Amino acid sequence: MGPSLIIGAAALGVLTGGVYALMSSGLALIFGVMRIINVGHGAMVVLGAYLSFVLLRDWGVDPFLGLVVTMPIMFGLGVVLELVFVRPLRADREALSVLVTYALALGIEGVLGYLFSADYRQLRVSYDTASFAIGDFRITWVYVYGFLLAVAMLLALFGLLYRTRFGAAVRATMLNRTGAQLVGIDVERVSAIAFGIGMATAAAGGTLFGITTAFNPDSHYDLISRLLTIIVLGGLGSLRGAIVASLGMLVVEDVASVLISPTWADFTFFVILVVALVVRPQGLYGVRVRGAA
Amino acid sequence: MQRRLLGSAVAIVATVLVACGGGGGAQGGQRPIVIGVSVSLSGDFSGDGKALEQGYQLWADDVNAAGGLLGRKVEFKFVDDDSSTQQVVTNYQNLITADHVDLTFGPFSSLLTIPASTVAARYGYAFPEPAGGGPQVFSRGLKNLFFVQPAPVEDNLVSYVRWLLSLPAGERPTTAAYATQDDPFTQPQLDKARQLLEAAGVRTVYSKVYPAETSDYTPLALAVAQSHADVVLLGTQLPDAVAFVQTFIQQHYNPRSLIETTGPDQGAQFSDKIGLANTEGIMVPSGWWSSARTYQNARFVKEFIAKYGGTPGSISADAAEAYSVGQVVAEAVNRIHSLDNAKLIQALHSGTFNTVQGKMSFDSAGRPQGQGTFLVQWQHGQTVPVYPAAIAIAKPEYPKPAWS
Amino acid sequence: MRLSGLALLLGVAVAFPIGLPGPATVNVGVFTLMYVGLATAWNIVGGYTGYISLGHAGFFGFGAYALGLIVTRAHVPAGVDVFLLVPLAGVATALFAIPVGWIALRTREATFVIVTIAVMFMLQILATNLRGLTGGSQGLAFPVPGWGAAFDVPFYYAMLALAATSLTVSWSIRRSRFGLGLLAIRDDEDRARSLGVRTEVSKLAAFVVSVALVGMIGGVYGYYVTYIYPQFVIDPLIGIAMVLMAFLGGMGTLAGPVVGALILEPAQLYFPYGLGQSRLYLVVYAAVFLIVILLLPRGVVPTLGDWLEQWRSHRLAEAQDRPRGDEAVVG
Repeated sequence: MGPSLIIGAAALGVLTGGVYALMSSGLALIFGVMRIINVGHGAMVVLGAYLSFVLLRDWGVDPFLGLVVTMPIMFGLGVVLELVFVRPLRADREALSVLVTYALALGIEGVLGYLFSADYRQLRVSYDTASFAIGDFRITWVYVYGFLLAVAMLLALFGLLYRTRFGAAVRATMLNRTGAQLVGIDVERVSAIAFGIGMATAAAGGTLFGITTAFNPDSHYDLISRLLTIIVLGGLGSLRGAIVASLGMLVVEDVASVLISPTWADFTFFVILVVALVVRPQGLYGVRVRGAA
Repeated sequence: MQRRLLGSAVAIVATVLVACGGGGGAQGGQRPIVIGVSVSLSGDFSGDGKALEQGYQLWADDVNAAGGLLGRKVEFKFVDDDSSTQQVVTNYQNLITADHVDLTFGPFSSLLTIPASTVAARYGYAFPEPAGGGPQVFSRGLKNLFFVQPAPVEDNLVSYVRWLLSLPAGERPTTAAYATQDDPFTQPQLDKARQLLEAAGVRTVYSKVYPAETSDYTPLALAVAQSHADVVLLGTQLPDAVAFVQTFIQQHYNPRSLIETTGPDQGAQFSDKIGLANTEGIMVPSGWWSSARTYQNARFVKEFIAKYGGTPGSISADAAEAYSVGQVVAEAVNRIHSLDNAKLIQALHSGTFNTVQGKMSFDSAGRPQGQGTFLVQWQHGQTVPVYPAAIAIAKPEYPKPAWS
Repeated sequence: MRLSGLALLLGVAVAFPIGLPGPATVNVGVFTLMYVGLATAWNIVGGYTGYISLGHAGFFGFGAYALGLIVTRAHVPAGVDVFLLVPLAGVATALFAIPVGWIALRTREATFVIVTIAVMFMLQILATNLRGLTGGSQGLAFPVPGWGAAFDVPFYYAMLALAATSLTVSWSIRRSRFGLGLLAIRDDEDRARSLGVRTEVSKLAAFVVSVALVGMIGGVYGYYVTYIYPQFVIDPLIGIAMVLMAFLGGMGTLAGPVVGALILEPAQLYFPYGLGQSRLYLVVYAAVFLIVILLLPRGVVPTLGDWLEQWRSHRLAEAQDRPRGDEAVVG
């Protein structure tokens, strides 16, 4: 067991970290704009994976190309869900949103289980075992493609947020919802679209997830717990934080897994999380608001 | 005011529960034999739960087509336990005391079988079960439990060890890597195999236990690949079985032999994720295979495909195990001409029974005394038994061919 | 009048297992009372202080393991004796909760929620990895009492006792200055502190009391199902269920969690039993849930209370033949 194993694990961590960054960016965006914790995000990622699966199985569409179809569908679905289930919530928004999104997750899981049964699926493409060597170590091309796609999407997201008027409206809403309303921003519309964008990124994340991992309707539980810990570590509502935390978490976990032991890798991560939060309750990039985190 | 609300709510709920609980009486005459089973149709074990349900139902259909059991039709009452302890306990409670089922069959996995069997024991019900064979299952002091597989779980890899050690000295492996889920089903098998191999001089170059809740197996698989072990033994369920193989393929790591405790026996669900060509040479311990010439097996395979589709290779062993439970019980019931659970328990403890998994009998704790598991290997897109020679259809391929 | 209502309630609950219902129904009663206790105990933290904990399941499991280990190491025979040791499991959970709670309560709102989830997973990992202590994923066995067909009845009463304890504790906290302080924390923690409420100590006390109760209930649960595994006894779904029930019934009220548990738990046990085959029961469950949240966002008890008040004030206005100030139509 030499350094090449550690480098390999770290490289793997970076590549899968990119995928997690994409998945968690949507979650961070939704929280930042709407101050709601979408515990159904994991289920939405899995839904995205199944959409790609259907396109691949029934029409032979390559999962990467299929994103052109799945992302708009998930975007639209996100907007609808926001309008129907989230907007009516008035009082106690943060707390109730957890329950509502959890119910949505259950509903999605039930429908997926009914349509696809509990069999494990995976998106198989002809090039998914092709790999190249770095020294002693082989890296699969699919992970690299996934990583590049994630980077491209995140750049696009940042572009949207920092280069467009709509993006400015989103950032204003994230900073101060009431203030944004006062200057004439339609925060409800911004919220709905932000939720849609969150779902669209979940779709992309789901496709990448589905290529590298066998999944079934139950897979969302493990996913959501990791995504939530990532965005908290990064600082709720911070996209930059979500990215840094994703990369950090996956690298630490993969390296710890080969170096120490897989059974303690997760534990180490949680310890780091708790310690970090005690020292800096707002997370790496979060903002302290009047003592609350 | 709140207390009045509370009071009326309690009263209403109590009334409803009493009304639900009281019913379920028996009608006279040729009413069907009802067998209560809790299967995991959702949750972690849902894939296996479905296979169990299919196997059980097929058995009932076969029995009914032949005139029923003791002249009466057999019906199943299936309920979903959501792969949860709480639910499985409630389910068997309900099945036994509210629905008054005649017989109970077991659920999936040792995890659910242990609490469920305690409930059945409380009411004196026999509990033949297809999937709970970990050591803890037999250490509870229960007399009503019967594990219907050819061997207790911890002995599953013993045949593999014997085969490896029977190879000529020049070909025998010198190093081995072990990785297993932290699971009462897989871990005992790996522990025993490792002890036996180490005692025979095979050096352990890697050994890890990983949490069952792991979501990314790649780092583990990487570590195994980097150990360059001659042979790899893995204690897996389907998702990790697939993940390990995929990483081995990507890393161009070709062990001389690879065996996984579950996964390669799941037919198409395994092969379509790694590619049929890549299955060549992978082994799995098994108590059943589709081409075995065991009691009623050819008929079972044919009817299963007719009813549920697929190919012989895609039939899950779980379904065959469930079918065997039915066979054992039918044989016992026919011997004693009775459905009385106490008599049934006695009957199951004596004599041998014929099943699609071969002949078996049960010791006082319910451990099966069968012929043990065999080695099954993927060859040319089919799973075939290769060891021991007495029941093998083909010779074992060794070393395992390189990935394609 | 209040006291007689309470006595009636207690009477029904105590008399319930005697007579008509079969063991299957008593079994449902055991789990229902379990959740009554859990939801009420959770409410002490979640409802009164406003700190939403999604990790209480970790302490539930901790209590189960605590009781199991005490009983197996001390070779306590199966039977009533095990029940007597339950308070010990509660104390163990409380002691463990003090440092953990102190650390967790340094965070607020959404971050606190996630820290509690993290603590729960850490407990699950510890239970799995400390194989020598807990048996790891092979699980831990409780001694099984040979009570035959009436097996469930003692457990029913044990859960009833714990549920009654939770309610009593919750009620007395609510009436006290301590409780007032907790509610003040929920409204505005910084303001409460500046007004002199000892927020750090109060929060921690509420947390410790809450999880101690949950741990004791966990102990009885472990004894009831006779065998515990890390992934089943430290189960996020149990943690979420108790929160849902408190929410449904009305967080921060006394009766709310009880009503929520009485509605949801029998439903949760019967749905998979009746509908499970179609695998759509999850969808039905989720749909019912969403409808209730959207229609009764404050929970059953407060909303019904509001309706009752509105109805009463209309009747009153009617009776006094006064012109009504609002535009509401007479129903």
